[in-house]
Amino acid sequence: MSPLLEAKGLTKRYGHTLALENIDIRVDEGITGLLGPNGAGKSTAIKLFLGLLRPTAGSAEVMGQRPYESVEARGRLGYMPEHDCLPGAITASDFLAHMAQLSGIPPRHARTRAADVLRHVGLAEERYRAIGQYSTGMKQRVKLAQSLVHDPAMVLLDEPTSGLDPGGREEMLELIRRIGREFGISILLSSHLMGDVESTCDRIIVLDGGHVIEEGPVSQFTQETETLVIDVDNNRDELVAALATRGIQAKLEGLLVVVEQENEEQFDAIRDALVEANARLRRMAPRRHQLTDIFRRSPDG
Amino acid sequence: MAEPRGEVFDLGYRHYDGPREGRMRARKALWANGVRTALGLGRGSRAKVLPVLFFVAAIIPAVVLALVASQVDEVVGPGAQVDIPSHGDYYQIISIILLLFSAIIAPELLCPDRREGVIYLYLVRPLTTTDYVAGRWLAFLSITLAIAYSGQVILFIGFVLAAAEPFDYLRDNWLDVPRFLAAGLVVALFTTTIPLAVSAFTTRRAYATAFVIGLYFISFPAAGILTGCDEETDQRRPAPQVEELGSGPCEPITGDAAKWFGLIDLGKVPIHINDLIFNEKSESTVARLVQELPNGVPIGWYLFLTAGPGVVLWWQYRKISV
Repeated sequence: MSPLLEAKGLTKRYGHTLALENIDIRVDEGITGLLGPNGAGKSTAIKLFLGLLRPTAGSAEVMGQRPYESVEARGRLGYMPEHDCLPGAITASDFLAHMAQLSGIPPRHARTRAADVLRHVGLAEERYRAIGQYSTGMKQRVKLAQSLVHDPAMVLLDEPTSGLDPGGREEMLELIRRIGREFGISILLSSHLMGDVESTCDRIIVLDGGHVIEEGPVSQFTQETETLVIDVDNNRDELVAALATRGIQAKLEGLLVVVEQENEEQFDAIRDALVEANARLRRMAPRRHQLTDIFRRSPDG
Repeated sequence: MAEPRGEVFDLGYRHYDGPREGRMRARKALWANGVRTALGLGRGSRAKVLPVLFFVAAIIPAVVLALVASQVDEVVGPGAQVDIPSHGDYYQIISIILLLFSAIIAPELLCPDRREGVIYLYLVRPLTTTDYVAGRWLAFLSITLAIAYSGQVILFIGFVLAAAEPFDYLRDNWLDVPRFLAAGLVVALFTTTIPLAVSAFTTRRAYATAFVIGLYFISFPAAGILTGCDEETDQRRPAPQVEELGSGPCEPITGDAAKWFGLIDLGKVPIHINDLIFNEKSESTVARLVQELPNGVPIGWYLFLTAGPGVVLWWQYRKISV
């Protein structure tokens, strides 16, 4: 069976700007994160898979079909754009029913689908109000709902958390996890936030400057050498020295002592070092890798 | 759907296993949505005011003409030779209403989709830009046709009922039906295509409307001036409007070229074809001048001004960038 999405030697050039250069991607079932800073080529890749753009070279295939050559290939894809894309004057219910029909669903079923999907994204009573009156969070849910209304095999979500406050962001990510796990719809989620991708996805593809710089299961990104952050009230320099005598490399980052953690036995040594330095411990916690760490690690970055 | 039911028995997500009808369903949906948008359905009461007003404005002349026709016999006696306005006159009377209606409402079908970004949701679904543009265009054409035909149908029924012998009237005048159907299509094609083509260049409805109305209203006096009477050679007739039927045209200021300048009046372009279809001798100066040209000229000019914007509209959407 062909993969859900597959890019081979995919290149996209806008005038003199190279947005994507000769990338190979394969996306199978599950939730895949497309991670990269702004301008990395994430949106370009998504638009190529949707057939909104034609590749300069190479190919982008959806379930074995090229969407820029046959529009039918888009029938089982959903797309949630990053930018505004909702009409203000009509109700969410009418809008979703219309979008379902555009994907080929007859009017009678389209109404039912619209109501179902809006309920799943948490819009029930509000669906009979004009979308223009919605809050940012509600609009974001309508954007998500329209990508699901025709029950696609896969949805492509372009920065779905952008513009949301922390609470709204967490709710959106929870919804995305449910869509992937409970609804059984595969997801390609683009984001520039490691946290979003890490907490939601099974696999990650990291893009930067139009290249794939890393890809693999999420665990690969979180397991590798974890950083330990030690927050003490006093005697920071003494603590670093005490750690050094126990063979642990530590460095000061502002008021924090940071240790590259290698194994679990270190915890005992750190405890002893804290006692020896007579430093009052406030907090000790692992720090997950930030996106910047990945780019720092990569040969291109 | 009853809400409480959904809350008590959360059924979870259900996959859709009903029919998927593909592109043809998408096209139908585009057409139906275009018609609804143009009429302001599903968008609050304010959006419906203008379409209703225009519809009424287009129907009233037909009702009045039908009433006049029904009263003529009683007033002047049967068989009297009175010049009752005919089917051929109706589009002349309402063409200005159709032009304004199209200029104001047609941009509603294209501009907001691009301004609000909804167009990208259309374009990622299984349909092409051509499907989209054609669907919108057909939707608006359906509305203008409906307006144009409604009046003519009322008029026709009025004439039939007013006739002393309705069956004789039908037998003698049945040709009016295909004629007004054809002429209505001519008027509707013209008034639909130009404002939609203009709308493809702006995301602001008001700009498109202002531009189209401006186009009609500048071309009208421009043609009027260029085909106006030369006052030095024709002192007795200072303005073309006061000419009486049958008195012959005055000497236009631009001389022999005036009949070509008559083509400039864009609002009259479909009316020239209407006059040809009904074989009418028109009363307006511009129309009379244009009638001096070979028939192919106004027909070619009409086709150019309808097909041209149609191609421009299609082309502009083909190269839409995302």
